[in-house]
Amino acid sequence: MSETTFLDSTELVLNMGPQHPSTHGVLRVILKLDGEKVLGTDCVIGYLHRGVEKIGENRTYAQFNPYVDRMDYVAAISNGLGYCLAVEKLLSVEVPARAQCVRVILTELNRIASHLLWLGTHALDIGAITPVFYCLREREEALKIFEKYCGARLTTHAFRIGGLQYETYDGFEQDIRDFNKWFLPKVDEYEELLTNNRIWVGRLKGVGILSGDECKEYGVTGPVLRAAGVKWDIRKALPYSGYEKYEFDIPIRENGDTYDRYIVRMQEMRQSVRIMAQAVEAIPEGPIMGKVGKVIKPAVGEAYVSIEAPKGELGYYVVSDGSTQPYRLRVRPPSFVNLQALDRMVAGGLIADVVAIIGTLDIVLGEVDR
Amino acid sequence: MSLLKKVFLVDLFQGLWVTFRNQHPKYIYTEQYPAERPKVAERYRGAPRLNINPDNGETLCIACNLCALACPETLIVVTSERNEATKRKELTTFTYDTSRCMFCGLCEDACPVDALELTQDFEMATYTREGQIWDRQTLEEGPKPTQYKC
Amino acid sequence: MADEQKPGGSEAPPPSGSEAPKPAAKPAADAAKAAPPKPAAAAHPAPPKPPATMAATPWDSDLARDLKTHFAESITETSTYLGQSFLVAKPDSVIPILEYLKLEADFDYLVDVTAVDWPKRAERFDLVYILYSFSRNERIRVKTHIAEGFKPETATGVHLTANWLEREVYDMFGIEFAGHPDLRRILLPEEWQGFPLRKDQSILKQDDRWVQENLGIPSGQ
Repeated sequence: MSETTFLDSTELVLNMGPQHPSTHGVLRVILKLDGEKVLGTDCVIGYLHRGVEKIGENRTYAQFNPYVDRMDYVAAISNGLGYCLAVEKLLSVEVPARAQCVRVILTELNRIASHLLWLGTHALDIGAITPVFYCLREREEALKIFEKYCGARLTTHAFRIGGLQYETYDGFEQDIRDFNKWFLPKVDEYEELLTNNRIWVGRLKGVGILSGDECKEYGVTGPVLRAAGVKWDIRKALPYSGYEKYEFDIPIRENGDTYDRYIVRMQEMRQSVRIMAQAVEAIPEGPIMGKVGKVIKPAVGEAYVSIEAPKGELGYYVVSDGSTQPYRLRVRPPSFVNLQALDRMVAGGLIADVVAIIGTLDIVLGEVDR
Repeated sequence: MSLLKKVFLVDLFQGLWVTFRNQHPKYIYTEQYPAERPKVAERYRGAPRLNINPDNGETLCIACNLCALACPETLIVVTSERNEATKRKELTTFTYDTSRCMFCGLCEDACPVDALELTQDFEMATYTREGQIWDRQTLEEGPKPTQYKC
Repeated sequence: MADEQKPGGSEAPPPSGSEAPKPAAKPAADAAKAAPPKPAAAAHPAPPKPPATMAATPWDSDLARDLKTHFAESITETSTYLGQSFLVAKPDSVIPILEYLKLEADFDYLVDVTAVDWPKRAERFDLVYILYSFSRNERIRVKTHIAEGFKPETATGVHLTANWLEREVYDMFGIEFAGHPDLRRILLPEEWQGFPLRKDQSILKQDDRWVQENLGIPSGQ
């Protein structure tokens, strides 16, 4: 080495490899560092790529349903809902009211389960080890309800094209009511643990700021967008599956930093409980399956349907050529598009902030890579 | 006031109190697995089983092949032969590859006579990959996991 | 607007003669339509049914009219199907249309960029941009037909979201975007050969050479 002074620094390239406890899956982030400050990031993804879109072209519509749960494996029911809605739109079949109501209840329960896992792992990344136990304990109750309803906890395959396969089990309504009553104090407990905690606030406030306009530029949706001040939720803007019947608020905050996203997701959990409480009182009687033939063959055409998944806007673009298999099935994953904004959010922060920001974006690699 | 709160770590103690409260034994959630087997739901999608008619001991399967057509992974192979006496198809072999199965339940939904059912068994481990391909006999009897005494 | 499965009758000389024999030769070699799944049933003397196309209805609204006045010949079609409007434009005018939509019509959110492969058509790929406007609460699609080897211009100048979305389209289909800041494979490894979502690649095909070199397994299966 030539005449370098003792404190001369050069850019260091550090690999936050695919095997890392804080990257929420197999995500590889190549960091360019100046000391501990991050100058730039480069995400390498694709470690979990399973070719779901290609599989979609080789299975019939009903056969593809179980594969859809495996993309965002944390919140499998939302994926199923989006797919079923897209195919039902192509078929122009109407889903009966009872099926829509039960779908809403399960989807909101699924939203709570997803946010609980987010909170547990995010807190664990930051260093708070206790919330993960409590969140997973609460999540158990939600998964028990899924298991009683459709037979599986995680890859639920709960919905079918045209409605539901399973009638609600005896005690479903009571279970949901018990869950609501039991769960709200738990959210208070998490807030007690974290919201005013000086370590939590110190780690999260002012970190990873993404303003509303930047969010729109990068196409970021979901709680990240709402924490930046844009009041937009697909459940209110383009309602589906009967959401217009329920009264709920959309939590928004102005700063767009990590702390705000935490507050938004906590509020969303409370709003989900509110929706479930309304829906469970008003489940109509009737059939659970619409008029769908044994063989699903939509007319030639295409449709794009999106729903508000816990992570953002999950969209399905289905192109049909009139046969029993989709011609092209594109999934627009919220985590993939949100992850793009990582570079902008991290700029100028420290490595510890990178961990916090990956956590706050709430990505699931199954969805990023498909 | 807020300075006092800051100095005396009030918010941290608040969190610690939550943790302390949860130490009560009534909150223990761990299931001691091999000793107490979890009670899974009635609709649980576990190991497949071919049901037998309890009265005459014959299989309920009518070899219609609908389960094989419904399976996304095409892992069910059903063979049958035609019985000249009753003019109906009779099941000869039924192969189910549990190593590729994703337990989605489409085969169970498709079966018109409720012969193929996904039971509440989840202990299906084997020592070989070939052991995961179940033939008709294993499907009718179900997996037999080794019971260890704890 | 039979552009979904263009029989290619009007422009290219009947390619059908060479391509058709694939679909298990439905009866009557007339198969003048290179198309897919609506076979004219097994009756020999029956006249061939035209390939089914999307039952889209024309889309008429202020926005459609504005676009048509601005981009007269570049927009070949504006229709709506199942309540979702889309327009088909010529490849070179897509970026100006996206810019116009963003600045004038307030479609500031690019939801998705994707492609569909219609191998039997002369212009093989269908590049689809899905846009949404917060203020109008409307969603539209901008489609364009491009041939293989054509390099469309990147949309990253208009919408930053297009960065990774176009990388994925390149990765899966092989459509290169001119002017893209960082065009390389995103989901598959960098040295992978082949474009999986094209219809001529079967689902079982993998890049065996890459698998052999990097994973040491003789066959991908």
